[in-house]
Amino acid sequence: MSNARLILRNLVKVFPARGGGGVLRAVDDVSLEIASGEFVTLLGPSGCGKTTTLRLIAGFELPSGGEILLDGGNVTNLPPNKRDMALVFQNYALFPHMSVADNVAYGLQTRGLPKAEIRRKVSDMLTSIGLHGLEERRPNQLSGGQQQRVALARCLVMEPRILLFDEPLSNLDAKLRVQMRAEIHGLQRRLGITSVYVTHDQIEAMALSDRIIVMNAGRIEQVGTPQEIYHLPRTRFVADFIGRANFLPATLLESSGETADVDILGQRMNVANSFQHGRGAALTAMIRPETIDLADDPSLPQVTVTQAMYLGSETEYVVNFGDHQLVVVDTSPRIGRFYAEGRQVGMALDPSSVHLLGAEA
Amino acid sequence: MQNVRARPSVGAQFRRILQDPILAVALVGSVIFVGLTIILPLLAMIGESVSTEGAVKFRDYLGSPVYQTIISNTLVMGVVVGAVGTLVGFLFAFVQVKLDVPFKRFMHVMALLPVISPPFAVATATIVLFGRSGMISRGIFGVRYDIYGLDGLTLALALSLFTVAYLNLKGMMEALDPALDEASANLGAGKLRTFFRVTLPMLIPGIASSFLLIFVESIADLGNPLVLGGNYEVLATRIYVSVIGLYDTTAAAVLSVILLVPSLTVFMVQRYWVSRASVVSVTGKPAGRPDTIKFAPVRWGLFGVVMFLCLLILLIYGTIFHGAFVNVPGVRNDFTLSHFDFVLNGIGAEAIQDTTLLSIVATPLAGLIGMVVAFLVVRKEFLGRQALDFGVMLGIAVPGTIIGIGYVLSFNGPITATLPILGEITLIPKLTGGQGLLGGALAIIIVYVIRSTPAALRTGAAALSQIDPAIEEASISLGADNARTFRRITLPLIRPAFLAGLIFAFARSMTTISAVVFLTTPQTKIMTQGILNEVENGRYGNAFAYCVILIGIVMVAIGIMYALVGSRTGAERRIEGGGQ
Repeated sequence: MSNARLILRNLVKVFPARGGGGVLRAVDDVSLEIASGEFVTLLGPSGCGKTTTLRLIAGFELPSGGEILLDGGNVTNLPPNKRDMALVFQNYALFPHMSVADNVAYGLQTRGLPKAEIRRKVSDMLTSIGLHGLEERRPNQLSGGQQQRVALARCLVMEPRILLFDEPLSNLDAKLRVQMRAEIHGLQRRLGITSVYVTHDQIEAMALSDRIIVMNAGRIEQVGTPQEIYHLPRTRFVADFIGRANFLPATLLESSGETADVDILGQRMNVANSFQHGRGAALTAMIRPETIDLADDPSLPQVTVTQAMYLGSETEYVVNFGDHQLVVVDTSPRIGRFYAEGRQVGMALDPSSVHLLGAEA
Repeated sequence: MQNVRARPSVGAQFRRILQDPILAVALVGSVIFVGLTIILPLLAMIGESVSTEGAVKFRDYLGSPVYQTIISNTLVMGVVVGAVGTLVGFLFAFVQVKLDVPFKRFMHVMALLPVISPPFAVATATIVLFGRSGMISRGIFGVRYDIYGLDGLTLALALSLFTVAYLNLKGMMEALDPALDEASANLGAGKLRTFFRVTLPMLIPGIASSFLLIFVESIADLGNPLVLGGNYEVLATRIYVSVIGLYDTTAAAVLSVILLVPSLTVFMVQRYWVSRASVVSVTGKPAGRPDTIKFAPVRWGLFGVVMFLCLLILLIYGTIFHGAFVNVPGVRNDFTLSHFDFVLNGIGAEAIQDTTLLSIVATPLAGLIGMVVAFLVVRKEFLGRQALDFGVMLGIAVPGTIIGIGYVLSFNGPITATLPILGEITLIPKLTGGQGLLGGALAIIIVYVIRSTPAALRTGAAALSQIDPAIEEASISLGADNARTFRRITLPLIRPAFLAGLIFAFARSMTTISAVVFLTTPQTKIMTQGILNEVENGRYGNAFAYCVILIGIVMVAIGIMYALVGSRTGAERRIEGGGQ
């Protein structure tokens, strides 16, 4: 028996496919353990099954197979209102006919708490989340950020065993999103509430999470810390979905323990290797654009700049090396350093930033 | 970004519904309600029509030139009234949305007035105004015009039924994104071209659906053809005569089935059109205000036509009020209160009390059942969801006379079952006729409810689909069960729709005739039946006095319902404005 707070065991959710007799496996054999106090993000593109997984956890959908354990108890078939979880909705789903205070008090009233205690808890919560003084406002009299706070307060005041988030920041403008992200991060760390967070925004996922679950087509693609997911993606899908990546063919020349000599674009370099393949094996090298340097150095392999976009804090290049096209990001452009389109420039790859994937990955 | 939320599986949802006892009771209750009050009487009526005797009559009627004329009369009237009513509704809506002219509020009120008008009122006023001794036809133009027939029916029915087209098309025109007009203009099209190439095509589903609704309502109408039909006989009047004059329920059942065919066919086609229309009408939130038409001939021409129609409506209602206070309307126009004396102190008093009481009982039931069924069909997935919706809608899709006959056939005696140990037990006691339960009042209440529930269901379903399901899920996620969520969240949010449903239910119950005309008993008298008696005996003044009292009761009731349920809060305005 593990001490995990939430366990998903072989969860499957099948929907009848639209316009046909077939079925859609929205969630396909998902297993996961989430520790108490942990912040876990389900990350993936549209239709990858992350929202369905969250709705299964919340109880709004019933799984076609598998089970859900909360603190060791089986909650798989428990209705959502009996699960002691609270969900922050994408569009907040505030009760439009109730004041801010009534929205926050709603769940406590449902529990049948004494009026005085409800009043005190609501007041404390609104103060701690910066909504003091807005108690009598209606949701439509609040800004997007304030509505988001009410939605959060309404869940936090319940002190649920699990806090669930369904893309809660996607309706906010860019600046507010960054601010609320930091606030959610701070709150969750302070209160230590076990949280499951759904997003398609990789930056959000990395900023908030202890662990990220990358999902694709209903399955878990990889589980790891943000650093593991970014630097050591297990599959091409993960590498491609989180940040940007160049994929180059790499031929294994010689492997020794944890490193190997590989040939990439005609250069021999010694990189980290976890594969057991023999000499001559065809692999794929994943190289992040910001780990590649461009320099006016004739000793380096020369590439042709085919596109150059100056973005202020960084400059983005597309360069050609033979038949291969690479994206290169200069993350700290200096005054005067800009390689115009059509120019030849030297390219330096950093062997310690090369990550090998299986050829078929 | 919104994930595509796939349809939840039907089986899983069904299990989930049965897990929640209150939800299960609501679902099972709705199904039983539809089964007992709508399906059972319909089946009884159909069963009677295919009995040995019925089968013979079927052959006779379909082969007889007299009945062929009646059938074609019915259909021709439906088409003509549908077309004229839709056109009138379109004109009213167009002027309201697309023109900048004075008196728009007045026009709006005039367009809504027919909803609360009792049957026979418009028809009788039409006779007083335009008949052989009409105040206008004879009095002003000096002609002895024969208003009885298709022309009079078209006038009275189109003016009574166009409201549905008006509301329907007005809603669609307001929902049309002005950006589409702007895009068309931007691409070089003039106003006329934009209207015919962009606006009109987008409104076609609404136009078609309005036409079909009015068609169904007009062929089901009993009051107008009884008064204004003359030699122009239609199925509804023939059914009435078969029961009331000839006591031949089999003939009535056979004719009912014949009438049911076009009614249900058109109703189903209309449902299809509405489902198509929803695709067209949702064009996103309209940005900016629609541009009004400035071209003077169009603007003032349409204004003139609609204003003329408004004045006609006003004249007709004026005639009703005037007629209630004069000796012989249109003939001896001296002031008298004798008609009110007759109605209030004679047999009318009892009818007024009974009708109002029964309507008061039926109204909240219809409103609540409508909202519960709307909640079930919009929010829950279960096997037979569409069937439940359709079953409730049958309450209005099926012509009232047919419902009435179905009730007479089904509930004229107790429905019993013989059980092994208990022996014979009564499942449903006798409901109709003088010896029926509560003097036949229960049957009338049930008919009021089933005739009013469809409108409550539709307004409720429309309001619910505007509300993000996440709001209800939020409530459940915070620990509330389905019943608490419905009471604390859903019902308050759809309160405007609930109010509209209540108002409609009460007005409908007070003014209905066709469905209850066979169900009134010596113990339970109904106002509309009283009006019919007076009209049939040529005592128009008494009929008008009835109508004035009836309209007064409905207006007072609407005021009371606003006070009880009404008060538009900011939240409701937000919901109506398509809030999140």
